[in-house]
Amino acid sequence: MNLEECKSVFAVTALSLILVAAFPTVSMVLPFPSGGERFSELWLLGPDHMAEGYPFNVSAGEVHGPIYVGVGNHMGSSEYYVVYVKFRNQTQPLPNATVSEPSPLSPLYEFQFFLADGETWETPVSFIVEDAEFEGNSSFVTGISINDHVFVVDLFSSWDSEQNGFYYQLFFELWLYSGDLQVFQFHNRFVGIWLNMTRT
Amino acid sequence: MKKRKRREVNGVSSLKAAVVLFVLFAFMSSTFVLGTMALGVEDVALSAIESAELAVDLAYDAVLEAEGAGANVSGLLNELNDGAEALSKAYVSNRIGDFDDAIYFADLCYDLVAGIEAEANELREVAVIDGNQRLLLTSFGSVLAVVCICCGGFFGWRFFKSRYHRRALKMKPEVASNES
Repeated sequence: MNLEECKSVFAVTALSLILVAAFPTVSMVLPFPSGGERFSELWLLGPDHMAEGYPFNVSAGEVHGPIYVGVGNHMGSSEYYVVYVKFRNQTQPLPNATVSEPSPLSPLYEFQFFLADGETWETPVSFIVEDAEFEGNSSFVTGISINDHVFVVDLFSSWDSEQNGFYYQLFFELWLYSGDLQVFQFHNRFVGIWLNMTRT
Repeated sequence: MKKRKRREVNGVSSLKAAVVLFVLFAFMSSTFVLGTMALGVEDVALSAIESAELAVDLAYDAVLEAEGAGANVSGLLNELNDGAEALSKAYVSNRIGDFDDAIYFADLCYDLVAGIEAEANELREVAVIDGNQRLLLTSFGSVLAVVCICCGGFFGWRFFKSRYHRRALKMKPEVASNES
């Protein structure tokens, strides 16, 4: 190796070391974009904390659950969430995931909470169909109790001859607080369980 | 006699009318008062919820700013969660028409989050000062390291160069035969 080549090696080594030495300061001044996708999880688990054993055949007066609804925050910062609990029959609309629109139904119950980045939140939900009536090919649910709060719903469902049952759905929508707009916005995630209303 | 009787009849009928009017007025006023009271409680509940919601929003904004400045906000998030839980209960109570509970939980939420904004601002200020000190120390360390590398490189290169020349001068030339 001649002297010129040695000089180049010296220069490159010194420059590399300078870069390494300057990196901590540069990283504190310049914001580096954090890698990875930013998202939130929403899940619903059965009474045994597994994705099975969800209540399905329900009748008036029976306590069902608890089922567990949970949220995980991977948004890169602390977030303010609300989970709305809604109840519908087969004809009423679900949220539209393709256009990020929530269901237009009014929420019954709700859970508001804050989550730090990387943390999860979970809560039990028990419910009782307070009053159900059957008349020919229709069933009527007039009230549902969620976590000991009774809500008037007045919903009917026609007999589903394909699935053999009177079907209703209890579903959970995830909304996220927007600091810029200062309102909650639908976060395009929802989970739910189908309930087949049966006579006692 | 007839006149007197007629006067008595008139007197009784006007008394009856007055009683009827009084009862009617009392009934109407009670209905009105009760209705107004119910409306009043509903309005108070909505107003309490709005105040609580605003307090939570302000506290959350302050916590986010503190977090952005590098403060550890896990404790504040726990406090905010207590407020958020109370606010949820206020909304649910309001939805089922239990306005007294709605007011209670909204006020509870307000009380729970009332001090968070100030705490978050304090934490943010401390985090900003800590951040500036850390930046100063890191910059000093970086500058020192760069100076050391430059000096070390310069003197190291001079030492290496002189050693290289010395070794080159000590070398003895050899005559290689060209046998081919």
